[in-house]
Amino acid sequence: MRLSHTPTSSEDLKPSLVPPFLAAILSLIIPGLGQILARTIRRGLLLLFSFATIIGLLAWRFTETARRDTGLINIVRKGLSLEPALVVLSILVIVFYIWNVVDAYAIANRSGSNPAGLLFLVIIIFFMLGWQIGQIDVVALITQADDAGPFLSSVLWPWEKSIEYPKDIVTTTAQIQIPCTENPPAPSGALEDAPYLLADPTCGTLAEFEGAPGSTVTLTGHNFIPNTIANIWWEDPIGNEFRQRQGGEYIKITPDERGAFQIDIELPYRLVPANIRDDTTIWEIQIRQVASIGDWQFSTELKLAIEKIIETIFIGMMATFFGILLALPVSFFAARNLMSASPITLGIYFVTRTILNIIRSIEPLIWAIIFVVIVGLGPFAGIMALTVHSIAALGKLYSESIESIDPGPIEAIQATGANWLQVVVYAVIPQIIPPFVSFTIYRWDINIRMSTIIGFVGGGGIGFLLSQWIRLLDYKAAGIAVWFIAITVAILDFVSAEVRQRFV
Amino acid sequence: MLEVRHLTKIYDDGTVALRDVNFIVPDGEFLVIIGLSGSGKSTLLRCINRLIDPTEGEIIWDGVDLAKLEGTELRMARRKIGMVFQHFNLVRRSSVITNVLAGRLGYTSSWQSLFGRFSDEDNAKAQHALERLGIEDQAHKRADELSGGQQQRVGVARALMQEPKMILADEPVASLDPVLAHSILQHLELLNQEDKITILCSLHYLDLVQRYATSVFGLRDGEIVYRGTREEIRGMNDEEFKEIYGQEAERVGGGLQGDLLTANGGGA
Repeated sequence: MRLSHTPTSSEDLKPSLVPPFLAAILSLIIPGLGQILARTIRRGLLLLFSFATIIGLLAWRFTETARRDTGLINIVRKGLSLEPALVVLSILVIVFYIWNVVDAYAIANRSGSNPAGLLFLVIIIFFMLGWQIGQIDVVALITQADDAGPFLSSVLWPWEKSIEYPKDIVTTTAQIQIPCTENPPAPSGALEDAPYLLADPTCGTLAEFEGAPGSTVTLTGHNFIPNTIANIWWEDPIGNEFRQRQGGEYIKITPDERGAFQIDIELPYRLVPANIRDDTTIWEIQIRQVASIGDWQFSTELKLAIEKIIETIFIGMMATFFGILLALPVSFFAARNLMSASPITLGIYFVTRTILNIIRSIEPLIWAIIFVVIVGLGPFAGIMALTVHSIAALGKLYSESIESIDPGPIEAIQATGANWLQVVVYAVIPQIIPPFVSFTIYRWDINIRMSTIIGFVGGGGIGFLLSQWIRLLDYKAAGIAVWFIAITVAILDFVSAEVRQRFV
Repeated sequence: MLEVRHLTKIYDDGTVALRDVNFIVPDGEFLVIIGLSGSGKSTLLRCINRLIDPTEGEIIWDGVDLAKLEGTELRMARRKIGMVFQHFNLVRRSSVITNVLAGRLGYTSSWQSLFGRFSDEDNAKAQHALERLGIEDQAHKRADELSGGQQQRVGVARALMQEPKMILADEPVASLDPVLAHSILQHLELLNQEDKITILCSLHYLDLVQRYATSVFGLRDGEIVYRGTREEIRGMNDEEFKEIYGQEAERVGGGLQGDLLTANGGGA
């Protein structure tokens, strides 16, 4: 928006086509028209275009705000009541409109009008529109900031997730004889340090049909893990396992703080073939509880994060490596001083430069999506994406450093009778090594940073884990990934600064 | 002996830098070329060792036409012609000794020079050259750590390494202050007198020309407009000098210059 307008001398000399009053009327009908007819065409057009743009955007915001309403008056009323920003905007537009009329009069009268005020007003209006379109909500930012608290504390200190205790299902059994005989199996004895289960009685009858209760057995358990849910399973004589159900529900038991429980269970219904219905069989009742076994160990999440951060670093490294290899030859084609010898080479220069610019303007994340389609999910797609972007970026930087070498040393080495190779080795390479090293480190830096998020679109590396964990709301695990990224980038910063100092 | 006949150089953009230049330089001469910027001095010197290809003409040096040489022959000829530049043209990030050794590249195979290997003999020569120019203690510094005067001495040492029969010096002292200017020119004079190296040197200032030249010619717009012997140039005053040169010519530093000439130049 450039409304500041310095009237040229010709405009000063030529009188307005319309009298001031008419100019004002015209600008009242179409903003800017009065100014155009007063021979300040640029100012008039700018007013017209900015007014049209503002009205268009404002109309869009009103309809967007009052989406469910119809009728101009309803929409305006709803918009004004819902969005205070729209009230301010409407007032500003009205001021702008009136100002435009006054300006048309002043311009046509050749009495001069300060365009800075109008410009300022237009900037304010666009700022307000931007505020409204951007849905900027400072109140939410402040009042809802503490919503991030639990999430942030998990991310900031996720290390309790870095270790875990291996868990296994501990099964404790008791035997039930079906049907009862004179000699039911003896209950298992009490144990000192392991869970044990007692059944009373140790025999019973199965239910006659589905849903009917069988005989009741009282189960008493000791030494179980306190306050941890356990499940009841059956294993029939031929080894089929099924869960105990009562009243249609699976039964769960929670041992008390001493690890003991007592529960009455009804023997289930099972279809037993007629020829063995009267045989005495031993059924097994099992209490299965998930329990920690052994010492702590590093968690799966930590191991995964370490694995993937290594992958990440190597994605960045390989991409930089391939990028350098391919950017080196390309950079010579993109160096104007080397390619301006003939129209053909100059053509190659322009083509190369254009291709590099196009490639560079596409973000690595988009390249990653393209390569995921081609080579599938995984680190290779990430390497390819970063490689392509590195070629373009390094090609440009390298070629610019070739363009800026000092021809003096080349001349001097040529003058000693050196051949082409010697000139390159003694005059060109010493000059381009420092910028090349510098740009390469810079690119390596960028590639490692990019490789940490290229996984968000499936390009491998730690970004993939991070996006997974964020989506699973596993903020502690995500925190581990964030920490690894931060540590890697910090180390890399240090290393690249050191390397740069050595070489450049 | 160097003989230049009908030398003309027209650049691609149509600029005529040299127009039918003819002159003879006997061996052992300290020839000074004077002329304003853009008068063709640099072009002339660069045509002699073919850093610039002349459009027309012959450059006959020891019976060979340098203007017609190509490839290996050209490089063989170039290594006998040292060159010293206004902006020194050192490889700034390489060490002083590497810059000096680069003067031996014409005598070294590509393979050896690729790995920076020079013979012991060459290394000894480099050491000697540095001693001769009084910068032996700077040998392992980076070239850009040296002062301007020291850098130009490295430039002279590099030219000396070629064991040249002729040195082309393109405004060797234009980037230096008057004291250093004398120092560098004295080194060139020493090479001229002791080693019998022919020197072709372009200079700006009358007092330097008067002090060092054994013969002089003036260039203006690519043409030789003045030829003078040592005696003629010594007898020249500022007005005559300005006539050749155009109105912009001046002495280096007024009174300071006179003192230097007696104090410094007298001792050489």
